[in-house]
Amino acid sequence: METPELNDYRAHLLDALDDQPRRAAEERPGFLQVLVNHERIGTLNCAQTDPSFAYTARERSIQHLELRSESGALIGGCVAPEAGQKSVRVPVGKGSLTLHVQNHFDGGSLRVQYEVAPGWWSQLATAIGLPAGAAVASTQASPVWSMTTAFAQVVLAVGVVALLAERIPVWIGSEDRAHQLEEELAARQSTQDQIDQVHRQLAQLVESQAAATAVSRTEQDRIAQLNTLIDTVAHTQQRLNAQVVAVQEDLKTVKTDVAQEVQTGMRVAASAVEADRELVRQDLQAVKSVNETLVKQVALLESRNRELHARLALTSLEVAKANASSKPAVVAKNEPPKETPAPTAVAVSDNLREADRQAFMFWVAFQDGTTEKSIEDLVQELNGIKKGPMKSGWYSVEVNLPNPEPPDRFLESVKRAKIVKSVVTSKAMPPAQ
Amino acid sequence: MSPKMPDGRTMRDGQPVSARLNNVVTTEREFDELVTKSLPELLDRATSQTKRFLRETNQWGDDITHEKLALRWGYELVERFVVFGRTEVPCRPFFLLDSLIAKSFSQPDPLCYHKELLTPVGRFLDGLASRAVVSRDALIALFYHFYGFSQAHVVKLLGFGQAESQRVYKNFERWRQSGWQRTMNETGLSGSEIEILEQELRTRPDHLNNEVDRLMPVLQSHYRKSEPEHYPCLSEQKWGQLFHDDYGHDYRVWHLAFCRDCFLEVADRRHAEVSNGLKPQVNLHIHPLKKGGVLALFGGDRGGRHHGNTRAQRLSRTSA
Ligand SMILES: [Zn+2]
Ligand SMILES: [Zn+2]
Repeated sequence: METPELNDYRAHLLDALDDQPRRAAEERPGFLQVLVNHERIGTLNCAQTDPSFAYTARERSIQHLELRSESGALIGGCVAPEAGQKSVRVPVGKGSLTLHVQNHFDGGSLRVQYEVAPGWWSQLATAIGLPAGAAVASTQASPVWSMTTAFAQVVLAVGVVALLAERIPVWIGSEDRAHQLEEELAARQSTQDQIDQVHRQLAQLVESQAAATAVSRTEQDRIAQLNTLIDTVAHTQQRLNAQVVAVQEDLKTVKTDVAQEVQTGMRVAASAVEADRELVRQDLQAVKSVNETLVKQVALLESRNRELHARLALTSLEVAKANASSKPAVVAKNEPPKETPAPTAVAVSDNLREADRQAFMFWVAFQDGTTEKSIEDLVQELNGIKKGPMKSGWYSVEVNLPNPEPPDRFLESVKRAKIVKSVVTSKAMPPAQ
Repeated sequence: MSPKMPDGRTMRDGQPVSARLNNVVTTEREFDELVTKSLPELLDRATSQTKRFLRETNQWGDDITHEKLALRWGYELVERFVVFGRTEVPCRPFFLLDSLIAKSFSQPDPLCYHKELLTPVGRFLDGLASRAVVSRDALIALFYHFYGFSQAHVVKLLGFGQAESQRVYKNFERWRQSGWQRTMNETGLSGSEIEILEQELRTRPDHLNNEVDRLMPVLQSHYRKSEPEHYPCLSEQKWGQLFHDDYGHDYRVWHLAFCRDCFLEVADRRHAEVSNGLKPQVNLHIHPLKKGGVLALFGGDRGGRHHGNTRAQRLSRTSA
């Protein structure tokens, strides 16, 4: 269909494509949106000191990475192999972005870093010994979670204990042991409050467990924060223990009976904290594992399906690449102009012929009534691997072809097997469903 | 010497451009050069593959709307190809494009294709939403186009502080200056189609807003990505907690812009801070908010009840 309106539209889009590199180059690094597999997963603020962004994907590898400005201009990105790594450097403004993706079959991680090219000012600054980041605005305060207040209180409790230790010689003099024990108890109570608070938070966490699959990310943040809190409590514990030692040292110089009493008090406080901490840790472990199981179960169902599709699509990418690298550039340049066949299944198998030891994937359907056992036997005979479950009667099988064997002949031999109904190569989907 | 091909394309190195796209490209520079010259071939190839996909999935119709949809998709595919391809050299460009396309179409529900979205208002909404997936300017603008929220309302709704609200104002500004127009161009909505929409909004606001209300769930469930893994709907209590404990800022923007139900709930909950006490509701706006534009919120210019408002705003916009 050709109408002026359609032609206009096409011309418009071509202009926009033509303009893309200029637009991308004009973008100033500010907030960059990070998109993974077409989903927005975060923002990199290039104005920060040491701007970097990290992300970990579960269940699915990071196959598709895009960085876009706030206005949506595509600044950089890449497709990454399903397993393995990929690094890309993209110039942005006066600096550059480094993208690094590391994938394994059921997940991946990503790191994006922005670096400003050192300008004359920072070079000069380094030369005369100024801190390089002096001109850069300081890091934004991160959102304060209510638990930071709790941390502060724990630290306060430690402070009280420290005071306690310092004041021991004074107490000895005034014989004010009642007061001394009171303060110590207060310190212990304060720590106890923190522990209770963690318990309450944990209880809430368990409550929200019902929605854990859905709200998994929020929960994971919390778990991270709880972990930090546990660490802080552990730290308190250590310092408390250290205080006990310090107090012991101090007490060596005073009457033994007083020393004994204070020491016992401190011990009791310390071991109570220790026990509570262990409980908290156990609770946390339990919550964590339940959460992880739930998240995995849900994601697994969906990812199985997606993975199959993605893996198949990826095969064609790998073929294109393998094909490219197997031909030296010089040869390619001197090639006579030739027909340009559409890249159909035939073209794909052609490429495979050139590619050394490429894994070769094909779809196979079996005669009605063929048993699972004889299918397994055939696959084994071919030294193949079944990829994923059956789809509308088609199995996808991957084999490693010995170098000289052309896929066509190989497929012919598969077709001759009695139980085989049909064999095809298809890039992405099982044939006619 | 550069002989002309029968179809008018020039040859280089003794080969037509399309043949060179089948050969190996070895350097980034070579890739960029070749791609810049062959944008029409690349666009046509991506468009025809999209058509094929639509046909094979029984989503094709022989009319200009479908042709435009295929072109728009082809365009988005080529845009990515141009940027990603240079990181894949050495490669054969056509093969690489094909594999990118195959990969795209193997995603679950890759195209937002629904019959209802092929009407002018459906295409308008679809264009906004698909742009909002990649542009934060467009994302923030959804609050205006869907509900009539100005930048100040958006900042209040989202509970943003100083630094973040500046960012929202910039989003509105860029959207007003160029983002909206670019999105309309990329969507393929012509000036006259937009004018007709404006006309309908003026004469039958309730009718059009009801239509938007009906289409929103279809549209939003498609474009609300990262679901359900990362950004699901939250209960009223959870939303309250999120605001009270001051976390999840990205969550607020991304989810509320793309979920009518959560938006209405949160806007209602926070409406003492957000509005003058009127119930939040769907309130379509076609053009971006004009500079310094002030408008009545929540029903003030909807439903013909205060029709004068709408007209006043529109008049001042056209005269601006
Ligand atoms: Zn859809
Ligand atoms: Zn929601």
